[in-house]
This record gives sequence, C-alpha cells and structure tokens, in this order.
Amino acid sequence: MKISLNWLRDFVDIPNNIDAKEFGRIFTVRTAEIEHVEDQGKLFSKMVIGKIKTIKPHPDADKLRITETDVGNETLQIVCGAPNIKEGMLVPVALVGSRVRWHGEGELVTLEKAKIRGIESSGMICAGEEIGLDPSPEGIVDLSPLNVKPGTPLAEALGKNDTILTLDNKSITHRPDLWGHYGLAREVAAITGKKLNRLPENTKLLAGNRGAGELSIEVKEKKLCPRYVGIIMEGITVGPSPEWIRQRLNNVGYRSINNIVDATNYVMAELGQPLHAFDADKIEGGIVVRSAQQGEEIATLDGNKRKLSKGMLVIADHKKAVAIAGVMGGANSEVDSSTSRILLESANFNPSSVRKTSVRLNLRSEAVQRFEKSLDPHLCEQALDRVCEIILQICPTAKIMNQKKDVKNFADKKMTVKVKLKRVQSKIGAEIPASKAIEFLNALEFKASEKTKGTLEVEIPSFRATKDISIEDDLTEEIARMYGYENIAPRLPELPIKLPLENSERKLKHFARQILSYGLGMNEVYNYSFYSQKDINKCLLPAELHIQVNNYLSEDQTHLRVSLMPNLLKNVAHNLKYSPEFRLYEVGRTYEDLQEYFPLEQKKICGVVVKDKKTKDVFYEAKGLLETFLGAFQTAGIEMKKGESLCPYAHPNKYAGYYLKKDGSELARVFEVHPLVAKNYDLENVKIAAFEINFSLLASLGQRETKYKSLPKFPGIDFDISVLVDDTIEIGGIEKALRESDRKLVKKVELFDLYRGANVPEGKKSLAFRIGLRADDRTLTDAEMKEVQEKIFGELAKMGGEIRGLK
Amino acid sequence: MEKELLKLEQDATNAVEKASDLNELQAAEVKYLGRKGEITLLLHQLKDLSPEEKRTIGPLSNRIKTDLANYVNNKRQALEAAEIEKKLSLEFFDITAPGTKGHMGHIHPLSQVQFEVENIFSSMGFAVADGPEVESEYYNFEGLNIPADHPARDMQDTFFVSDKHEKNHGRLVLRTHTSPVQIRSMEIHGAPLRIIIPGRVFRYEATDASHDSTFYQVEGLMIDREISLAHLKGVMAEFLTRLFHKEVTVRFRPGYFPFVEPGLELDFSCLICGGKGCSVCKHTGWVEFMGAGMVHPNVLKAGGIDGKKYQGWAFGFGLTRLVMMRYAIDDIRLLQSGDLRFIEQF
Repeated sequence: MKISLNWLRDFVDIPNNIDAKEFGRIFTVRTAEIEHVEDQGKLFSKMVIGKIKTIKPHPDADKLRITETDVGNETLQIVCGAPNIKEGMLVPVALVGSRVRWHGEGELVTLEKAKIRGIESSGMICAGEEIGLDPSPEGIVDLSPLNVKPGTPLAEALGKNDTILTLDNKSITHRPDLWGHYGLAREVAAITGKKLNRLPENTKLLAGNRGAGELSIEVKEKKLCPRYVGIIMEGITVGPSPEWIRQRLNNVGYRSINNIVDATNYVMAELGQPLHAFDADKIEGGIVVRSAQQGEEIATLDGNKRKLSKGMLVIADHKKAVAIAGVMGGANSEVDSSTSRILLESANFNPSSVRKTSVRLNLRSEAVQRFEKSLDPHLCEQALDRVCEIILQICPTAKIMNQKKDVKNFADKKMTVKVKLKRVQSKIGAEIPASKAIEFLNALEFKASEKTKGTLEVEIPSFRATKDISIEDDLTEEIARMYGYENIAPRLPELPIKLPLENSERKLKHFARQILSYGLGMNEVYNYSFYSQKDINKCLLPAELHIQVNNYLSEDQTHLRVSLMPNLLKNVAHNLKYSPEFRLYEVGRTYEDLQEYFPLEQKKICGVVVKDKKTKDVFYEAKGLLETFLGAFQTAGIEMKKGESLCPYAHPNKYAGYYLKKDGSELARVFEVHPLVAKNYDLENVKIAAFEINFSLLASLGQRETKYKSLPKFPGIDFDISVLVDDTIEIGGIEKALRESDRKLVKKVELFDLYRGANVPEGKKSLAFRIGLRADDRTLTDAEMKEVQEKIFGELAKMGGEIRGLK
Repeated sequence: MEKELLKLEQDATNAVEKASDLNELQAAEVKYLGRKGEITLLLHQLKDLSPEEKRTIGPLSNRIKTDLANYVNNKRQALEAAEIEKKLSLEFFDITAPGTKGHMGHIHPLSQVQFEVENIFSSMGFAVADGPEVESEYYNFEGLNIPADHPARDMQDTFFVSDKHEKNHGRLVLRTHTSPVQIRSMEIHGAPLRIIIPGRVFRYEATDASHDSTFYQVEGLMIDREISLAHLKGVMAEFLTRLFHKEVTVRFRPGYFPFVEPGLELDFSCLICGGKGCSVCKHTGWVEFMGAGMVHPNVLKAGGIDGKKYQGWAFGFGLTRLVMMRYAIDDIRLLQSGDLRFIEQF
C-alpha cells in the first residue's frame, strides 16, 4: 500500500525536513515494513515553471526556434524544437544541472549549457516523457492551466512534492486500523510522541429537505452485516475532481474517475473504510442486505458478469442485486454523468464471508482487501460523515436530503484484557517497569492501569478490538515493539546441558551421501516431487498408486512421485548433452496412495549409472556400487534374489532384489533400465543401470556394531583355478559350491576373470577363481591343500566343469 | 715388507681417489684388494715372516685392509650418488601434465548447508525432527492458528492433493512450511523442547529466477520455562556467527505470522558491508532472514502444552535462500535442475 507523507501530515506533525528514509526505518522497526521510499521532489529538482516571452526563428535550422523564457528570477535564452510552443505559454523548464531523459529514452542525463547549431541554450523546455510525466505527443507539455508564477518549482506546481512510502501489505494483515492514512498517522503519533489531530467521530449532518422521505434499509443477514449506514444526497453534478483530490489519489496509486467515486476512494485511503456510491434513482424501493439466490447474476463494475451462489451476501433493492457486499458494486446502479441523486453506503461486513465470496468469484478489490481484515464497525459512521463533508466541498450543488440511516447489529461492548507484567517481562526478556508499559500502551490509545500490583488492566480501543488484540500475548507485542526490539539485549538461555534426542535417520542420510558422493564418485541431484501422466506412462508405472495434485502449476507436474526414477531419467537425458558417461543419485521421498487418509511417505535413494552404448553389462557396475554402499552400512541379514516385486521400469532379466531375511521385505534393488522405458525417454544410445534403496527401511535396521577379529596367526595358501563351464551356469552357484567344498579351510573365493570368445567353445565360458585356504590353528601342509583341491575339482566336475589350469 | 705395504697403500689410495666412475673404482679395488690383488698377494708372504715381524706387520696389514675397504666404500657411495645425480640432471619431466583423476562425486549444496546447519544447532542441544510433506489442513493451518478464510492463507498459496477429506483434518495439502512439525513434535515429546526441522516445502506459485514451487526451510522451536525473545536474539546471533565465520548481529522488527505472538522478522547485519549499506543489502545494512516470534498460546494448546507453565519461540528461515546467498547463486531453479555442470561446482 502506498502512503503519502503529506497526507499523514494532515493528522500528525511530521517535520518538513525529515529524512524520509529514516522515517521509513523507524516505522519498519516499530510497526510494519516500509519497502520503498520515493521522494518525488528529487526527480524534479532544478526544474521550474517557465513562461515563453518571445519566439524567434533559428538562423541555421528550420525546425529550431529561439525563445526568451521567463523562469522567475531571470529570463533565459532556450532553443526549442517542438512545434507547439506559443508566446505566453507556461512550460516546464529543466535548468542546467537537472536530470532529464532525452526524447524520453535511455538513462537520465545531467543537462549542461550548450550551443545548438551555434546558438547558446541555457536549459531545456520539456516534453512530458523527458521528465517522467505522462507523454505529450503534441510536443511540449502545456502547463498554462496551472496558472502559476514563472519560477515556481515544478514539483510544487504539479503537487509532486510529496514523499511516497510503500508499505508491505503482508505485514499489516492483522492491523485493519492501518489500511488508511488516519490510522497510520495515529500509529506515527504514538511512535513519535506527537499529538494526533483527530477527525470527529460523528457529526450531526445538517439535514436538508426532511420531506424527501426516509431511506429504507433492511438487513436480512444480521451476522454477515454488523452495520449498514446510508444517506442520500441530491443536487449532484458528476464531473472531474479538483486537482488536490486527483493528485492525492494519484500519489497513492488510484486513478481519478469522477468527483463522487473519487470522494469515496479518498475516504477509503484516508480512513480505511470502503464506501460505495449508488445512483439513487437506479435503486428501486430501498436497500436490502440479503443472501444471493443460487445462480443469481450481476454485472460488476469491472464489466464482467458474475454468477452468484447461495450464501454470498449481496446488496439489493426491492427488485435486484445492486452490489456484491464488500466486494464490488453492480453496473446497474453505477454513478454516471447523468446521476443527480446518490445513495452513499458505509457498511461493515463479515470478513470471512467477504473473503470466501471473493475467493470463489476470483475477484479481489481494494474493498475486499480491507473487509477481510476485520474492520471496526465504529468506523462506518465516521467515514460516511467524512465523505459527505468532502462531497459537499467539491460538489457545491450537493445537498443532504435526510438523516443518516444506521442499522446496527453488533454489540458495542468495551473489551478489557488483563496483563501479568511478570509474564510479559519474561517473554520479552527485558525488565520493563509497569509505568513504562502503561505509557507505551496509552500512547497507542489503550487505556491501561495497574489496578493490583503486577497486573495491568487494559481497555482495548474499538479499532484494535475486532481481531488484532484479545489476549495478553497481543499486548506483550505492543509493549515489546514500543519498548523497541533493538533494546532487547541478546542472551543465551541457561539450560541444562543435555544431549538432544538422536535422529539416527538424519545422521545416516548424511552418511549415505558421503559414501555415494565421496566414496563411490556419484553426483547428488534434487528433483521436484512431481511428474506428469506422461511420465507414468513412459515408465510403465501403475496409475492407481499416484496422488494427483488438484491445482497443479503445469502439465509436467500433475502427480506426486511414487518413484525417483522418472525425474532421474529426465536428468540423464539433460546431462547427456554435455557428458557421455556419469553417475547420479537422489535422496528423496515418494508418496503412495494406500487408500488411507495420509499417504505412505518413504525416503528413497535412487542411483543411476550411465555408460557408453558399447559397455557390456552395466548392471554389474550398479550392482557393485549398491553392494559397496550396503557394505558401508554394515547391514546384516540380507539375501539377494532375482527381482520379484513389481518394478515395471526394470529390465525383466537384469534385475536383482535385496531382501531382509527376517521378513522378506525388499530393501534394495538393482537393474538395468527396461529397454522400452529407455526408448520412451530417447535413451537408447546409452546403457543405463540403476539401484533403488528403501532408505526409511535401511535406516530403521541400524548399523551392526563392529567387533575386532584377531589377525590370522598362521599363513594361508592361495591358488588360482580356471574352469570351463556351460554359459547358463550361474556364477553365484559355483562360488557357493567352492566355498562349501571345505567350510573350515576355504576362506576366500574370488572370481578374477570371466571370458567368452576365441579358444572358448560356443555356449561355454571360462572362469578363473582365486581361492584362499587357511587354518586358524596351524600351518597347512601340502597334503591338506591337495585334499581341498580334490574336493574342489569334484564340485566343479559335478557342474560339468572342465579344469583348464591350476596355479 | 712394511715399506712395500705402505707404498701399496699409497698407490691403492691414489688409484681409488683417481677413479672417476664405478668401473675404474672396481678395477682399482680388484687390482689391490682382489683375490689376486697386489696387497693380497703381498700378504700371502706374511706366513714366511718371523714372529717378531708378524707382530708388527700383522696389525699394520689389518689396518691397511680395513682403511682401504672403508675408503673404497665411501668412494663407491660418492660415485653412485654422483651417477644418480647425473642421470637425474639429464632427465626431463613435465610436472604440468595433468594428474591422474580420482573419482569423487559431489554432494548437492542444499545437503551440504543443511548438514552444517544441523550440526551447529545440534551442538546447542537442538534435536533434528521430521514430519510428512503431504500434510493435513489441520496441521498446516488450523493447528497453527490459521483458520479457514483467514487472510493469512494468502501468504501461502497452497497445493491441494487428492480428494481425500477427513473430519478433523480437512483436506490434504503439500505442506507450505515446516511449521506443522512444531505441533507434531509437541504432541510426541511435550515440553521442554528444543528442535529444528529442516525440510522440503511447497508453494503454489509461478516460478522465476527467485521463486520456486519447491524449496527448503529450517524451522526452529525452543520451549521451556523462561524462554524469551532475548534468547532468540542470542541463539540466532550465535548460529549465524558460526555459520558465516564472521561476527554477525541480528535485529528484530515487527512481523505478522498467526502462529506467533509477538511476531517478528529477523534481519542480520549485512556480511558484505558490515551494516554500512551496500547494494547487496539495498543500502539498509540489513539482510532479511526469517520470521519468528513467541509461540502463540493457541499453538501450544494444539500441541498439548500448558501455556501457563511453558513458553518459547519458533522461527523459520529459507535454507534455499541461505544456499543462494552463500554461493551467490542467481537462479533458484538451478538447484532442482539436475544439471551436473551446476552440481559439480560444489
């Protein structure tokens, strides 16, 4: 919201030479954030009103002319190229040293004395766009209507000598009283210790012709409309507003419409109370405040037709709805140039009803913004009086025809809150004495007194009582900010040294990242929790597990992920543009709809290995990474099997699962990406293997404790054996057989070579194992080694193996 | 014989000294000390000497043999060293050629900073808590003193998910802040409580270089008997000073969040200009950092904590923004781009 410093000055003394930035800072640290301070005068510094006295042709240029221009204390020779200058015209003159924008384009430049085609020119007669005013396509801005003396500073002549502060709307969500200049001035008065020049709370308006008939107002929805004050004025001449109103409205961001609408906006900007003027001749019967009928239609002032539903509050006459209460007026009762009688409305509506209606109609307005904050119903009458006062002033033909009609449906009760000073002090962390606390509160127009020692009784003014202030804590804030947050000295709490509860899952998550990135050379990425229906199709995922986003931002983000895989595949496609091979992983949550209220959220790790197309069996690389990772976690009690559970994006054959022995639940899986899925993501030119880990499950297993085993006391014997077997025999089975050929002595079985091709018959593979034998209590003899070797040969022979060498 | 021996010693010494490489040294050694060397041969005659002569010549010959052997050894070491030295001096080696690359990956900057933040707060006795990302309206709003139709809901444009509705919980949303975990933690642990909650949050908000629909927050909550705003200032100054390795001061100003009362905004002194004002802090000397305040009694009540006995503060800051500040990242979308050219910088 924009605040005019000059407007505030109507109600509170603010020195003229105040540093506006500092003013903004103080308001920011005491009340609410001032986001921006704009000193209008600065833009027009060294610019004055000039009066063109004479115009002569330029000897060397057809389009240029030489003027003698009166700028108050002197007359300057200024060369000008605009066709519309006339002798006697009032124009804006930028003097030497001012900053202008040449032809309205580019950066501001500082004006210097110059010779234009040989003729000296001391300054510049300006077009609007050259000095930040509305563009003047005809040439120079004609300021003759201003009718001011030459030499008047331009800022003053244009009313641009104000300072505009921009207040962060969010920071006054809880302060309905700060949505107008009067309330802001009241706050400034409290902060600076100055007196507030009060507006009267109600005036007995002079009634005009009593015979004009009573205004009838009927409020049917009493809860939704705590107050409705109306009045009728006659003799209205609709026309433009005087300059001072236009300027003020303009400075705080409102467009001038006509004198009547401007007057209502003026009072809203001043008091924070939205008002509405109806053309009284378009109101049939009287005002009825009622709920809309289902499907009832109204064309609003913004030119749109709105379909209403039951429960929305409308202002109607006896025939039709004429406004959506607190949201926007109707076109059917709009004030226009032919209007001669107006009905002014100053009402209070239920904030949540206004807000609901506005959200449902997707229609925000200045009025909604204020009503939804819970306005003080006391404000209605004051605002109505003020708008009448202004209309009478700017539209001298206007007359008030009857007394205000005031329908009240609110309890006018004083609210008092008790405050235990000790608790306030303990929460703020500062010893603020009772006398100070009372002083702070009373400055803000609370009525505080210490009735019993240590307890303040505080009467809440009505403008703070609608929602903002109702409990001790609310007043704690008032005392704290007036005391000054900067005066609270930082302190560290004196609490017992106690170890925090350990979050081992978090700890392990960071540990996991270190293993994956620093140990296994993988790169961590973050992806969105969303993907699209397209991804579900491309990854062959089951649709029914997915949770849909009702109000998604884009078609790419319509569903919550049940797997990290789809987004990682998109990462793969992206990074292939820059790098042929890489390893990625993500640690993140998946969300599965299990037909209960809360979905199943699990933390997962998904790693992806991308290799050149020629790479054989990228599966084993991913498998190695996964097993090294699980090894680092020292997870016990896992067995690997051919993948069983549904993993539609896994290659059906190149897929292994890691299951907990105790209950068979799947802890991890490793696989090559299903060729169809790879094709769907245009990733057929690379090899991709991946692993997925259910991290929630892994972390719940904890880490096995490490126990030292004594180093072997006796030497062992290693030997290598190579064997030719059928290609279809699984290596896992052979390893197992070798290990079990002598459970006591065989301590190590390692495959170190696997070969198919030349010198190996079709359908066979050649394997080479290194086998380590050792006994814990003696040095092995040759005879013992031979014996084990024989057993091994026997096992291999059983599997149809043909021994090719022994070393 | 004594003379002959001494002469041979002199000759051998000379020969060794003259040897300019290992071969010459070898030759000299063989010539004098070898099995058929001149000294060896001369000493063969020792047996023919009289006992008296033996008594003088014996020790003399031993001394000469030991001295010469030592001398040869020293000379050999010197020549060997010289030889290596010479070889090295002729060698060319290009130390500028690239080293063999180790294979190390990168941890995402968000994870790195989160880890750091958790560590600092842990050392001040804060536990790290966690909660669901798909949250109920109750935990995300009502429990936090934000009833339906409250204008504060505008501050947090919300993603609604699924069509599920529950009597006490309302609809399901993607949590718009980490604050719901305040209530969940109070329900589980009660008071006193000292926790932080880092986590992913969501806003239904169009994305641009400085806004994303997904980002990370860190929530903090301290509840005990006499916890005050002064403590909040103290703890945050301590945290930021450790995080930035630089003395940092903080300031409060009023702010509005329905779940705290008093509510405030916390700024810290600009790290670039130290508070004097520069373009980074928009010439204010302060950098906006987080919302905070004393936990609202309604929130304590929702968490089952007796507000007459216990009080405390809560805060929430943007981890994502912190990361962007620390590394001068100018586009928030890079963080979730999965682009390795970005990740590999950290």
